[in-house]
Amino acid sequence: MRSASELKFGEKVIIYSLDGNHPSCRRILEFGFTPGQEIELVSKSAFNDPLAFAVRGTLIAIRKNEAECIKVA
Amino acid sequence: MSLSIVQSIPLITLAGPPNSGKTTLFNFLSGQNYKTVNYPGATVEYSISCFQTKFGLTANLLDSPGIVSLTPSSPDEKISIESLYAHPHLGTPDLIIATVDASQLSRHLLLARQLIESKFNVIIAITMADLLKKRGHELLVDELKKALGCEIVVVDGRTGSGIDILIAAIEKNIKTDHLKPEPLPYCCNLEIDRLIHSYNEIEIIERRVLREIPSNGDGAANLIKANKQLKILNQPETKSIKSHLPDKTTLNIDRYLLHRYWGLFFFFMIMAATFTSIFWLAAPFMNWIDALFGYLADLSLAAFGFSWFGDLIANGIISGAGSVLVFVPQILILFLILGLLEDTGYLARGAMLIDNPLSKIGLNGKSFVPMLSGFACAIPAILAARTIPNRRERLLTIFIIPLMSCSARLPVYALLIAFLIPADKPWLGGVSLAAIYIFSIVSSITIAGIANKLKNRIVKEEDNSSFILELPAYRKPQLKVVLINTYHSAKIYLKKAGPIILGFSIILWLLTYFPNVDPKIDTNNLSETEIIQLKNAERLSNSYAADLGKFIQPVMTPIGMDWRVGVSLIAAFAAREVFVSSLALIFKVTSDNETLQNSLLEAMHGAEIESTGKKLFTTSTIIGLIIFFVFALQCISTIAVSKKETGGWRIPILQLIAFTGTAYVLTFITVHGLRFLGVQ
Repeated sequence: MRSASELKFGEKVIIYSLDGNHPSCRRILEFGFTPGQEIELVSKSAFNDPLAFAVRGTLIAIRKNEAECIKVA
Repeated sequence: MSLSIVQSIPLITLAGPPNSGKTTLFNFLSGQNYKTVNYPGATVEYSISCFQTKFGLTANLLDSPGIVSLTPSSPDEKISIESLYAHPHLGTPDLIIATVDASQLSRHLLLARQLIESKFNVIIAITMADLLKKRGHELLVDELKKALGCEIVVVDGRTGSGIDILIAAIEKNIKTDHLKPEPLPYCCNLEIDRLIHSYNEIEIIERRVLREIPSNGDGAANLIKANKQLKILNQPETKSIKSHLPDKTTLNIDRYLLHRYWGLFFFFMIMAATFTSIFWLAAPFMNWIDALFGYLADLSLAAFGFSWFGDLIANGIISGAGSVLVFVPQILILFLILGLLEDTGYLARGAMLIDNPLSKIGLNGKSFVPMLSGFACAIPAILAARTIPNRRERLLTIFIIPLMSCSARLPVYALLIAFLIPADKPWLGGVSLAAIYIFSIVSSITIAGIANKLKNRIVKEEDNSSFILELPAYRKPQLKVVLINTYHSAKIYLKKAGPIILGFSIILWLLTYFPNVDPKIDTNNLSETEIIQLKNAERLSNSYAADLGKFIQPVMTPIGMDWRVGVSLIAAFAAREVFVSSLALIFKVTSDNETLQNSLLEAMHGAEIESTGKKLFTTSTIIGLIIFFVFALQCISTIAVSKKETGGWRIPILQLIAFTGTAYVLTFITVHGLRFLGVQ
């Protein structure tokens, strides 16, 4: 299964699950990345890290290793 | 427990996620007349105020730090949340006004619902309903009231619309005779499941309370929405919940400002513009302040005659106050620009762009603003480091801030460069100064890298390094709010650094004035001004400061310097730029201010080391001095603020030893290296 860190620009996907072992998992959830939500990769910083996603009406930037804990369908 | 303090008037706390319009509402309710205070023993800041008198409400109003949920992710968040439950001074809030951005309803309802579930007494203030409307939706307030079971008011903290309804709701709420709320701690063994569950419930509410504004009577979308099925935990759905899209304009602007390659280019352009304007815009104001305090000092000297008292007033107190105030223009301009950048929404994007390179040396994208501020003055910079949630990264940021080339070093560099470059090539001065800045940036990055490698020795904290940041929609900055915040930042600087710099400059004055108060000099053929200046110089060379300088002579000799430079370096601990005036005193430079630098340069060219008769200032020792100033932590107020913000003496003492030690060793290597290469 792919993770959100592997998305292409402008790609819209639905979150399948989150890796509960990742230390940032809870915080990512709190920011609105919940299973079933649609997210879109809207920008990548230079060096491809961090990544900015559109989620629940706003943009959230997270590091690539944190995006890896978001599994997408 | 401090909970026993009886509070006679109710406490109303504003709580909400970052970017929820909480502070805008606070400013509106308080009339921007507030105090910023630290939680006791912590670096978490909160603002406290009363309601504006026109609202006719007697209550304390507290603006708590923005939080995403009631489960803390960092030690500072823990303090913020604990203080929300029971503030160390003010106790438990009688009422919480939870701000919720209507355009991000589901995200912001998370905290509001957690507050309600924890049995706080809550009124929800819905903000940015206009933004929601622009995106084609409207909020059914009565439905939301029913769903959450608490009072809900739509407000606009910018225009003030809805505020009267909010005030009426607050009044009604606190007049109702109910028991003081005793909120339950919000914790759960199944945190993650509970969060997902909570979001699912919020989505159900959201579908019920948000209605698409029908365009040309087309209401079919509602039906589709209403037919949506309930989602099952952790199972992917065939169709996504219709969430509103982020702001279109924002996405379009970000196509350029967050572009993979151009993004960094724009970032550096914006930062370079910020950086240069700190210096260019502030320069005339700094000169005025300088001239004003010089004039005041002269006035008081004339008024009190040339007694020790007059001298204390003029050279101890007035010039001490001057050296505090001279940085205020830079700090005002820095915070004004940073405030505007933050209010437009760009600063969060800057942090995102620079996060990756900074994370390589153990810092965070959020370290950038404090580091940039460090080029004006380390004190506001260290205070700005509070925005870094990760304690380890915050301490490391504070650790390297004194290496940023603060503007107090500028007059010193100006003098030393003027000594080095030939008078007919002034352009070399600019090039040298740029080289010094680049050198100091490179060295601070190197030192941060080394400090990160030795991380467990320097910064003991272990904390999950993380960068999760909302990039708020771009909007027009509110100049008024930014100006007020700028004013508060300057006030904090004056409060923190002012007494330390002033106190230290009085101590230094004592050391340089006593014990030889009225030295005998040969007054033949000298004008009155020259007599005074000679007396000053004579007094200094027999002062306690000179004794101290002679005491540290053995330390200065290896780096090719003598006690006179040593005294000036000690004096520079009050503020680095004092180095210049102290040198002028020691070398008995007697002339009026306009040609001070030239006479001082002349005196420096002629100065010899007393014991050997060799020239004191040579190319090698001057370059050595520049290196010394790049690294040395010579600022008593930085040490004090660093102690306060890191919560102990460990970091400031480490900084003092590491940076001043590095400075000394590198100066030694530079001076002797250059001499070895044949540069005297």
